Amino acid sequence: MTGPRSAPALIAMSSPSEAQTVILAQQGETDALEELARSCRQQAYVFALQLIGHPDDALDVAQDAMVRFFHSLGRFDASRPVRPWLLRIVRNLVRDRARRLRVRRTESLEPADDDALRFEPRDDTPDPEAQATRRELQALVWKCLQELKPRYREVLVLRDYQDLSYADIATTLKIPRGTVMSRLHRARRLLQEEVRKHRCSSEEARDG
Amino acid sequence: MADHCPTSFDETMISGHFDGELTQATEQKVRVHLEDCQYCRTVLGELRTLRETTMSTAFHTPADSQWDERPQTGLSLVAMGSGWIIAVVWAVFFAGYALWQFWQGSTDLFQRILVFGGLSALALLFTSVLLDRLRAARTDPYREVKK
Repeated sequence: MTGPRSAPALIAMSSPSEAQTVILAQQGETDALEELARSCRQQAYVFALQLIGHPDDALDVAQDAMVRFFHSLGRFDASRPVRPWLLRIVRNLVRDRARRLRVRRTESLEPADDDALRFEPRDDTPDPEAQATRRELQALVWKCLQELKPRYREVLVLRDYQDLSYADIATTLKIPRGTVMSRLHRARRLLQEEVRKHRCSSEEARDG
Repeated sequence: MADHCPTSFDETMISGHFDGELTQATEQKVRVHLEDCQYCRTVLGELRTLRETTMSTAFHTPADSQWDERPQTGLSLVAMGSGWIIAVVWAVFFAGYALWQFWQGSTDLFQRILVFGGLSALALLFTSVLLDRLRAARTDPYREVKK
């Protein structure tokens, strides 16, 4: 199968309004800088949280990412979308942080805690039972995600939480599109396996 | 259930198909395969459940007051640049004047130690910052993070 690997690389372009904001920010327009800061910092925080699993650490990384983002904004090509670039900065900082802490995987950090993560369902399902089931599954998937190796967690977060296209993921991670697809599939299967294992062990604990 | 597709089909295509990222020809092959393969249909169903779960998860974000970073405005950049220029010019003139006084021999030992010590400390601090900057510029992992 060579279909996706032989597909021409897509060059993502930024929306006209985003490009306009970036150009104005590069010229030092205060309102544009503020607008860019407001929209980018939340994205940086959420992505850092998804990679690290802890709100306080994620905020630190996001703050650093924003400083780095504005320092190199002058060199940024405004015709390109901002998001993959921003997420790449965050991802590099997360990797640096892990290297600094001399950890290979997040299991040596504190385990991800549902309360600390402060996530909530955003669907409006009226059925409380369905809501509870979904929330339980979200918590389980979140927990299992933190147990994946960083290279799998990154690609899965970018696609299934951040909703990036394969082209944007390839840009963010600097890997070919074909690798995005194979790594993503492997990550999804590993995550499903983790979820299955956790379910089995909790069922055993309940029965036993 | 088996842990892989019983045929030689490349399973990664299921993800490509699910995400709508395949070329038309490959997409057609996957569709045909899915009609015949129960295992791959199950995998596809699991991918759908996973995706629904992740995409319906939202995260609280920090309040604006929790962010202490602010982009530098034009005025602060000008102030910082001017400050550095004035500081460097002052240091050069001061060092030149001090050296001139030493050359003339119009200063006592205590004054020489006082001025020479201060200037040496400043020069060493400046050198250390310069060396760090040079090393960072050579090894900065973000130098390619421009576009």
